[in-house]
Amino acid sequence: MSHVHPLRPDTAAPAAVLGGKGRGLVELLRLGLPVPPGFVVDTSACRAHLRDGSFPAAEIAAAVGDLAAGAVSVRSGAEVSMPGMMDTVLNLGPAAVPDAVRAVFASWHTPRATTYRELHGIAHDRGTAAVVQAMVFGNRDDRSGTGVAFSRDPSTGEPAPYGEVLFRAQGDQVVGGTAATRPLSDLAEREPAVGAALRAGLSRLERHYRDVCQVEFTFESGRLWFLQVRAGGLVGGAAVRAAVDLADEGLIDRRTAVDRVSAHDLASARTPRIRAGGEVLTRGQGASPGVAAGRIALTADRAVRMAAAGPVLLVRPHTSPLDLHGMAAAAGILTGRGGPASHAAVVARSMGKPAVVAATGLVVDPAAGSLRAGDRVLPEGTLVTIDGTGGEVVLGDPGSTTAAAGPHLRRLLAWA
Amino acid sequence: MTDLVLHTLRCIGFAELSRVAGASGLDEPAVESQLIDLAVDGLVMRTPGEFRAWGLTERGRAEDARRTARALDAAGARAAVTAAYEKFLVLNPELLDLCSAWHLRAERGIPAERVLAAFADLDGRAEPVCAELTAAVPRFGRYRVRLGAALGRARSGELDQLTDGLDSYHNVWFQLHEDLLATLGIPR
Repeated sequence: MSHVHPLRPDTAAPAAVLGGKGRGLVELLRLGLPVPPGFVVDTSACRAHLRDGSFPAAEIAAAVGDLAAGAVSVRSGAEVSMPGMMDTVLNLGPAAVPDAVRAVFASWHTPRATTYRELHGIAHDRGTAAVVQAMVFGNRDDRSGTGVAFSRDPSTGEPAPYGEVLFRAQGDQVVGGTAATRPLSDLAEREPAVGAALRAGLSRLERHYRDVCQVEFTFESGRLWFLQVRAGGLVGGAAVRAAVDLADEGLIDRRTAVDRVSAHDLASARTPRIRAGGEVLTRGQGASPGVAAGRIALTADRAVRMAAAGPVLLVRPHTSPLDLHGMAAAAGILTGRGGPASHAAVVARSMGKPAVVAATGLVVDPAAGSLRAGDRVLPEGTLVTIDGTGGEVVLGDPGSTTAAAGPHLRRLLAWA
Repeated sequence: MTDLVLHTLRCIGFAELSRVAGASGLDEPAVESQLIDLAVDGLVMRTPGEFRAWGLTERGRAEDARRTARALDAAGARAAVTAAYEKFLVLNPELLDLCSAWHLRAERGIPAERVLAAFADLDGRAEPVCAELTAAVPRFGRYRVRLGAALGRARSGELDQLTDGLDSYHNVWFQLHEDLLATLGIPR
């Protein structure tokens, strides 16, 4: 029984064998969507390797030979998604593939991945697959780039594609939040064919999975490639709205719509959200839910001093224990770096304060007393509002509302 | 003489006397007397008002960096602390995962006792790293005491002691992280 499966539309093995990422790539191919050529070294090879050191070296060498690619990527992908827990290696020469696959397999047993499985009740004996693909380069030229996209807005559930794109960049720069991403509308403008193909692909995927889909993509010299697809993943009010709309569109029945929404989604659908209409300065990741409006303070000390005169938003590149008194004084926290599991996010949640982290293109300059957000330069003291659910950062104070999910929520509850 | 108090304040940020004493392991009168000496030298200051607390001045921060680096090199401990810091960096994302899992446990359907068990397991692996640090620079031993105390309180039912509050496991860990960066002179 072979442990190496080509990425082809007729590959029949399930996610338990190919991993979730590998299976998703086969589904993309079945739908006629472009995926870089490659193959999957399956989870049983991982289990065998971890058990007794065996390794399908000859099969892998043959598959790498068939691929005939100058550079490849090797990504982990278990049956159940464990985001960020295991290894990914980009831009390898073909000779380095076996060692990279071994490294991906070994990363199943890192303490962090083991703890993640303990927490989420995932069996320790399943192993991960390794997906080997020809590299596509989002940083090749001005007609190249990379991004992530959802078939519906993950913040509101609104039925229109939402995503972020970085021109002339590799995928890790989007996730890392180091550069300012652009909205999908920029892609449609600069590379209309890529934008149209992406939208068409998202729509096809949504009808296939009968659920909201999220993709990672790269375009190289004007040609689109899908690198990953995942179905579901919306939470709170966005999950409520998407479930109701999908039922209205006839993709799912009402019973399925009700089943898709958790008790926690219902509760958080009532969390206040920012009122639409303000000028969005940037977006980050919502790290602690709620809406906070305040004048921006660029150091913890300034936040403490300014808080005496009214609500303050503490804006930092990242946070350290030296910022804690400023966080305590502030109504909300905005950072340019970090993620939902950063010190800043943990502290904000423990204080029950809205927080947005990893806001793209945010440059905090306390010495100059100004904040740069994309193309805008804001002096300290400017009124800004954040939404710790959707990650929006908006100029001024547009107010907050719990009504956004209202009509959808009422209809869903009537179906239950 | 005042090095420990200055450095403690460098790692915990603005704090009242009782917190500086708790974090340094010294008693309050001794800490207060040293804070006053440091204030006379312009290295710390006391902020009045609602957030009444002690904090470092810019000069105090620079002076702490100088003293800490000098002490580290005088003890020949830089290599050992650097090696332990590398191990800390492997544990740090896992600790942050656990804190998020704790906060979001209802949403993700994770049982509380499972998170607590994972904290205890991580703590067991953090212990040898703390021991290495303490062997190199004895003041790091205070973190072991404070982390153990926070975990102990959580295990005896004060579950907010994992992530919430100034003496929670996360907050002490956060200060340890800051201490390692400050000691090795690494910017965040």
